[in-house]
Amino acid sequence: MTDSLEALRGEVLERIQQANSVKELEQLRVEALGRSGSLTLLLRGLKDLPAEERPRMGERLNQLRRELELELDGHLATVNQEAKAKALAEEKIDITLPGTRFERGHSHPLTLVIDEIVEIFSTMGFEIARGPDIEDDDHNFEALNIPKDHPARDMQDTFFVAGGNLLRTHTSPVQIRTMESRKPPLQVIVPGAVYRHDDDATHSPMFHQVEGFMVDSNIAFSDLKGVLTHVLRQIFHRDAGVRFRPSFFPFTEPSAEIDIQCVICGGGGTLRNGQVCRVCKASGWLEILGAGMIDPAVFKFVGYDPEEFTGFAFGMGVERIAMLKYGIDDIRLFFQNDLRFLRQFN
Amino acid sequence: MKFTLNWLKEFVDFAGSAEELSKLLTMAGLEVESLASVAEPEGGGQDWLFEIGVTPNRGDCLGLLGIAKEVCALTGAKLRFPAVQASKKDPAIGKRIAIKIEDLDQCARYSARIVDNLTIGPAPAWMRFRLESCGIRAINNIVDATNYVMLETGQPLHAFDLAKLSAKQINVRSAGATGQFTTLDGVERELVHEDLLICDGTTPVALAGVMGGLNSEVSATTQSILLESANFAPATIRRTAKRLALHSEASHRFERGVDPEGTFRALDRAVQLIVDSAGGQASSGSADCYPKKIAAIKITLRQARIAKLLGIAIELKRAETLLRSLGLKTTRQAKQLNVVVPTSRPDLTREIDLIEELARLHGYDNIPTTLPLLRPTGGAMDYRLASERKLRNFFTGAGLVEAINLPFIAEALNELFTGLWQGEPGAVPLVNPLAKEFGAMRRSLLPGLVDNLRVNLAQRTASFHAYHLGKVFRRGADGGTEERLCVGAIMHGPPALHGLRGADQAPLDFLQCKGVVEGLLELFGVQNLVSWRPLASAVLHPGRSAELTLDGAPLGLLGQLHPDVAERLEVPQVYVFELDFEKVHQYAPRRMTMRPLGKFPAIERDFAIVVERDFAARRIIDWIDGLADPLIEFVRVFDQYIGAPIPEGKKSLAYKISYRAEDRTLTDGEVNPLHQSVIDRIGNDFGAQRRS
Repeated sequence: MTDSLEALRGEVLERIQQANSVKELEQLRVEALGRSGSLTLLLRGLKDLPAEERPRMGERLNQLRRELELELDGHLATVNQEAKAKALAEEKIDITLPGTRFERGHSHPLTLVIDEIVEIFSTMGFEIARGPDIEDDDHNFEALNIPKDHPARDMQDTFFVAGGNLLRTHTSPVQIRTMESRKPPLQVIVPGAVYRHDDDATHSPMFHQVEGFMVDSNIAFSDLKGVLTHVLRQIFHRDAGVRFRPSFFPFTEPSAEIDIQCVICGGGGTLRNGQVCRVCKASGWLEILGAGMIDPAVFKFVGYDPEEFTGFAFGMGVERIAMLKYGIDDIRLFFQNDLRFLRQFN
Repeated sequence: MKFTLNWLKEFVDFAGSAEELSKLLTMAGLEVESLASVAEPEGGGQDWLFEIGVTPNRGDCLGLLGIAKEVCALTGAKLRFPAVQASKKDPAIGKRIAIKIEDLDQCARYSARIVDNLTIGPAPAWMRFRLESCGIRAINNIVDATNYVMLETGQPLHAFDLAKLSAKQINVRSAGATGQFTTLDGVERELVHEDLLICDGTTPVALAGVMGGLNSEVSATTQSILLESANFAPATIRRTAKRLALHSEASHRFERGVDPEGTFRALDRAVQLIVDSAGGQASSGSADCYPKKIAAIKITLRQARIAKLLGIAIELKRAETLLRSLGLKTTRQAKQLNVVVPTSRPDLTREIDLIEELARLHGYDNIPTTLPLLRPTGGAMDYRLASERKLRNFFTGAGLVEAINLPFIAEALNELFTGLWQGEPGAVPLVNPLAKEFGAMRRSLLPGLVDNLRVNLAQRTASFHAYHLGKVFRRGADGGTEERLCVGAIMHGPPALHGLRGADQAPLDFLQCKGVVEGLLELFGVQNLVSWRPLASAVLHPGRSAELTLDGAPLGLLGQLHPDVAERLEVPQVYVFELDFEKVHQYAPRRMTMRPLGKFPAIERDFAIVVERDFAARRIIDWIDGLADPLIEFVRVFDQYIGAPIPEGKKSLAYKISYRAEDRTLTDGEVNPLHQSVIDRIGNDFGAQRRS
């Protein structure tokens, strides 16, 4: 009996080692340990042994049973783990395949720039004001110290609509409308579309401006310089050079054109490859803003006392800023709404 | 204004380079727009051609003299004027020609001189070179000399052939009923009463300050000339030049103001150049009609005002130095300057004008950079901006790109696409459109978006989903105009999907487009205020379009573009919508209040009914909502089925009702009879047959 027991042990252990599926192991368990399994049969044979051998033999058989169960369980765990690992390995996917998603929408680059400008001014305490696109002559010209028959009107070619009104040539009329209805202190910006009778590669008959003004009892030209320098450095680069040049606008005095160092050539006037910078025409400077101290004639029109209040106003072209920021070389791209263009901006 | 460096140096010394001068002028407000090297003719040396953008206030800088004065003020150099033999006012010249100004408001001064025994020929090469470099065509030694001196002094001159002035009586008067006049370019001009004429007796011989007449032009046979140097009213000249679209070098200068004290200087310089090149004898004196001398302007400049406006204290002593460098006269009085401005600077009339000159000459760079001390303005949150941003974020998430279009549109499209203003006429036409197809302001955002679709289809895009937040325009009842911020959208093709090719995407349909609108309305919390109705519109598919109303007034429309319209506009099937964004914003509640979450579970029950094909699914929902049963949490339609075994002409609709109590867990025993009674009553009220 000892022999057959050892033989059984050897055989079952070997089969356990060879088994590589749950099914095989479970079958082995039945064959060896089941109701009519080989070990069970050996147990039944105990009764044929002499009484004094039975306890020792019984003990050995039980030992063997525990040993085999342990082996079976252990190997089963291993097989299970291997099977799981294999299954997981089979589930492997190519993570370099593209993700599944619907194409997002995109805001227009002009919206992005206006948003940014609005945000910068908002943090400085400026409010937003709005006004009509179809304006009257008074608000677009007369109140801004641009009388009829004055050459300053040539600076802004105008679209007229039936009935004598016009498409605003700048956002400055909103300056008048705001001052007519409120008293200082005021710090306001006016983003919006404006219209000029112009159409070529560098001009669009519609474009966008952000107008702004600040009026209180103690605003000076030095403040204009401070606020606009800060803003331009936020929009472009915090180290960008900013220069103020005398200029003329009928509604401001003193007036200034404000230039920033060319964002393309860095202000040197030549590109890295030695070619002349076409964007700034080699001057190293880009005209970006018109500004000035609000003319006393404008204050008089809206009923402010120019002796009491001073202020500055400015206007910037959104398309120009967007073109410089994003390297866009044709203003017409803004209004063709080609997906290949729009999808580049986020 | 163009000039060359060597020419300028005849008026003022400048030791620096052309680039240095360019920077100096630019930083003083005379922006140099271009600078180019040019070679002088006949073995002359190198010269530099400057082009300056002269702002409309600086008419004085439309002559070299004015620019030279600026250089003097900026560098401290001394001004020179080429030596000329000055003529005196000479009454004797009146025996040969009499001068009368009828309308003194239009012409302040008229000076003239005569030159006889001239030989007409080309002007010297150096003069022609300078004129042509500056963009003025050389003609002959007389005309060229007048133009040359105009570029030097800013004073326009005109030479008449004296022989052709038969009356020998110059009369400056308004055209009145004159009618027509032929200018020297051979064009017959239609005059209006206010145009100013130079007449010989009663015969017009020049359109004052704009262009001479063909009848008195200097020709190859001219022997004697009358040289005019006059001062005309800017507004009158501008009106005439603008109306006739006759923008001349002379009118450009008169519009911007010419120094009335400069007529003789220009006359004498021109006479000298003419005699030099065309021979002849000049009258010893000049005729001069200047009945009402224009007085120099006196301005008070307060020291405190300088600091208040510029943010920097400029001492009065320094201010005097700066202003005197411009040729202004100053006297100091306590804390102010009394300033006398010469007539050559008509732009300086107010204290602020002087402060600008101080800032300019002191240098904008030398004014400090400060941040203002502000009083709080009590600004409020801008809800409109917040709404616009919310809308844009929504569309970005929903896969629509933002388009921006010009508001100009063809009249015909405006009649078709009436937008929110259906049936009403009253588009706003442009008086001077760029082209006929941009003749009016749009009433709807949709035609622009259809254009954008076409641009993108040309690039073979499979889908195009875009929106435009922009204004639409119409004529108002009171003769004014009305503008409204709307949002329009166009959807073509199934939404663009990234990734591997999955199951074929279903074609875009009405409900997908409606889903975007519903999402938008829900975002602004107005979905329950909006009613949907089928719409009869010429631009939309009659069976696939809806009109939205909010609070009884039109809010917008949505649907498939009418196949006829799509064909006409050469686009495929496409869905569009357009909403009054101002109204959406206006009705959006500013406050949100949380509803308590139900503590007890809901029981959901579905049912399906068979109804006529054109039965509106919404009717059942409205009816159940109308019950206001406290146990009914919500009802929604979740399926529509058409086809066998549903009979022809009918459809099946499936609804889900959610039952929930706030205070207890509902039981089947409670819900089942309630649900049954709802279905039974629907069957009775709508003649609907229950399917499940």
